[in-house]
Amino acid sequence: MTAAEPTARAGRRRGLTFPGLLLTPGVALLAVLSVLPFLALVAMSLSRVRLLGGVRLEWVGLDNWVRVLTDVDMWWSWVRTGAYLVLTLGIEMVLGLAVALALHRVLRGRGILLSLVLLPMFVAPVIVGLLGRYLTDSTFGLYAWFLQQLGWEGDVLGSPGTAFAAVVLMDVWEWTPLITLIALAGLTSVNPSLLEAAALDGAGYWAGLRHVVLPSISGILLVALLIRAMDAVRYYDIISVTTNGGPADATKTIPIRLFENAFRFFDLGYAAAIGLMMLLLTIAIARAFVRLLGTRGIS
Amino acid sequence: MTVTRRNLLRWGAAAAGAVTASGLLAGCGGAERRPVPPLSPGQDPWRRFAGTTINFISENTAPTAAIAANLQPFTELTGITVRIVNLELSALVQRVALDMASGTSQYQVIYADPYQVLAPYSAGLADLREFIEDPSYPVLEGGLEDFIPTQLRAAGSFEQEGPVYALPYDCPTMIWQYRADLFAAHGARMADDLGFDPTPGPDRTWDEYRRIAAWFTDNVDEVRYGTGHQAKQHDSLMCDFSNVLWSYGGDYFDAGEQVGLLGVRDPGRCTLDSAEAIEAARFYDELLAVAHPASRTWDWDGVGAALRAGEIAMCPNWHEFAASNEEAFPGAMGYAPLPSGPTGSANMYGGCGIGITANASGAERGAAWLFVNWATSRGTQLDNLRSSAGGGTPTRGSVYELPEVVRAEQRPSELPNMLAGPAVRAAWEPDRIGLRPKIPMWNACDTAVFTGLSQMIAGQQDPETTMRGTARRVDQIVARGWHA
Repeated sequence: MTAAEPTARAGRRRGLTFPGLLLTPGVALLAVLSVLPFLALVAMSLSRVRLLGGVRLEWVGLDNWVRVLTDVDMWWSWVRTGAYLVLTLGIEMVLGLAVALALHRVLRGRGILLSLVLLPMFVAPVIVGLLGRYLTDSTFGLYAWFLQQLGWEGDVLGSPGTAFAAVVLMDVWEWTPLITLIALAGLTSVNPSLLEAAALDGAGYWAGLRHVVLPSISGILLVALLIRAMDAVRYYDIISVTTNGGPADATKTIPIRLFENAFRFFDLGYAAAIGLMMLLLTIAIARAFVRLLGTRGIS
Repeated sequence: MTVTRRNLLRWGAAAAGAVTASGLLAGCGGAERRPVPPLSPGQDPWRRFAGTTINFISENTAPTAAIAANLQPFTELTGITVRIVNLELSALVQRVALDMASGTSQYQVIYADPYQVLAPYSAGLADLREFIEDPSYPVLEGGLEDFIPTQLRAAGSFEQEGPVYALPYDCPTMIWQYRADLFAAHGARMADDLGFDPTPGPDRTWDEYRRIAAWFTDNVDEVRYGTGHQAKQHDSLMCDFSNVLWSYGGDYFDAGEQVGLLGVRDPGRCTLDSAEAIEAARFYDELLAVAHPASRTWDWDGVGAALRAGEIAMCPNWHEFAASNEEAFPGAMGYAPLPSGPTGSANMYGGCGIGITANASGAERGAAWLFVNWATSRGTQLDNLRSSAGGGTPTRGSVYELPEVVRAEQRPSELPNMLAGPAVRAAWEPDRIGLRPKIPMWNACDTAVFTGLSQMIAGQQDPETTMRGTARRVDQIVARGWHA
């Protein structure tokens, strides 16, 4: 150890370094916006929250967590959330990639086509839900009318299976364009000489797609999947406006149940525990994708 | 994880942060209450708070639509400005609860739904006797006695006689709404086919109602289905089912009437697993099987729109839809109390009162009372009836006795909501009015009830399993208690 080292260490102990000073406002803002609410959420999840006469927390230990983990209905909501996640992501990835591949082959008018394809993405989710509700309404809905002409007597949002399918399709309609956009960006970066070489070696369109294009854009597709997965776990708007969890709880995903407990029953401690579980799941999904990206050398 | 000095410090910092965060949360609320300015000698008591602005938060109901369209008389009378926030009921409940928690009384006048606001948050509402008994305020015209007694207790009290937390403001009640033109055109043939007189009324049974509905579906081209119901997984499904439940002799709790009229904190054991309740559920399942399939997506607005669109011939719905029904089918709509079950006819009452937040202070507290007094007065209720913007039906007995109102019960009517008047007054008779449980944890119980029913009508479980499962859930919710 040199004589200068203790002096430098003492200096670090006395105050912040220049970069530290620069970071302070950002860290303070982050603390106010994220860290303190997070810690408040943890405190609430261990308490009974009383509202009248000012907010008060009464310590209940792990009661809320025990309820969350032993509630059968809650686990069914997790199953529905999982099914919703898998279905929306699966359909959006397949459709989005297919549309991107088709658009990539279009040479004239691609800009106009792309603008049209992207339109649903710019509609607020609540409006998408309202639109879906009106289109499937038995009394005056256009889609309901088409189905009636085909001899179907049921109601789209009235049966558990069709209601679940309907909210999945509304999500797919809105967010497939995002996957298309991301995939299209990836396709433009595929090296044409690789495709030419593959063609010279006798590879057809499907072989080229499977062995050249998809491996080239897999990283960017993973990023798209990550963004949509984190969104789908928290998805609320469309379901809230169309079915609000019904019929027969068929569309009651975790965000709907969280809202119900927090703002209908005002069981805020229990809702905080649900919220923290959602946060844990979102973090787990994000870490899984980041790790996958890391193994592909993309991070 | 090894326990190192650094880890200990991290956990210590997190714990300190959690304590700080919960301290910040606890810091929300608790504003100091200012005294109401006294009445100056010789001052007009209606002008006492001139220049004050207050906020009224209300469900988007017909009476509030009418009042919002005609606030000028109140402003001219008092010099008080009223800002009205109209919301869907669940959004209103959220805002009210958070406003009470904040202690700031952003909303001084509150639409106090007896089941979602009054019962859980009665401690956050002012006892209106403070104003009624204070001679420095204008007299409450006609006194509390002028309000329909059942409605005053159901919409204004909680747990005990005495304190008045809200004055009855609206009184929607579920009645049988039907296309009288279709009954007139096909009644004779229907009577021949079915073997009974199909004329709607409490003499009909629910089973006859179901058979009439099926007959319309099979034999009449003017409508697609005979009946429609508000059977969405929503509060409306509980309302629709309750009519059948009570008419079959079932109830939610043992002391059902007391639980509904005054309200209690601990209603005791849930009785939805009784033989009568299970029989009611069995019938309701059969009824929904012949109803318009979209019933499972309709709340009260949905079924009302379907009736007006000519999709269905009849439905149980809130009587305040009478005016809009009359616009769609002038002279063709009829109203009657709901059919009877083995123990009689039951008609769900859905009325609400308006009250004042206990946190209101200063001139705003007094101004809020002047508004509550005016908005529930005889003159305003009559104006609401006349309003083209909406308007419910009165909650004061004296208004129903006015010659103009009595005349309006017959066509041609200048106050079309009064066309449902005779039916709704019959529905309010003590043995016919249906009062759901007024308990603080009703929101959660209600959700358990309509979720179970929704699963039943979707074919996922039989009526007995539904009722037994729902009773168990309600018992669990009640056992947890209510902590406002």
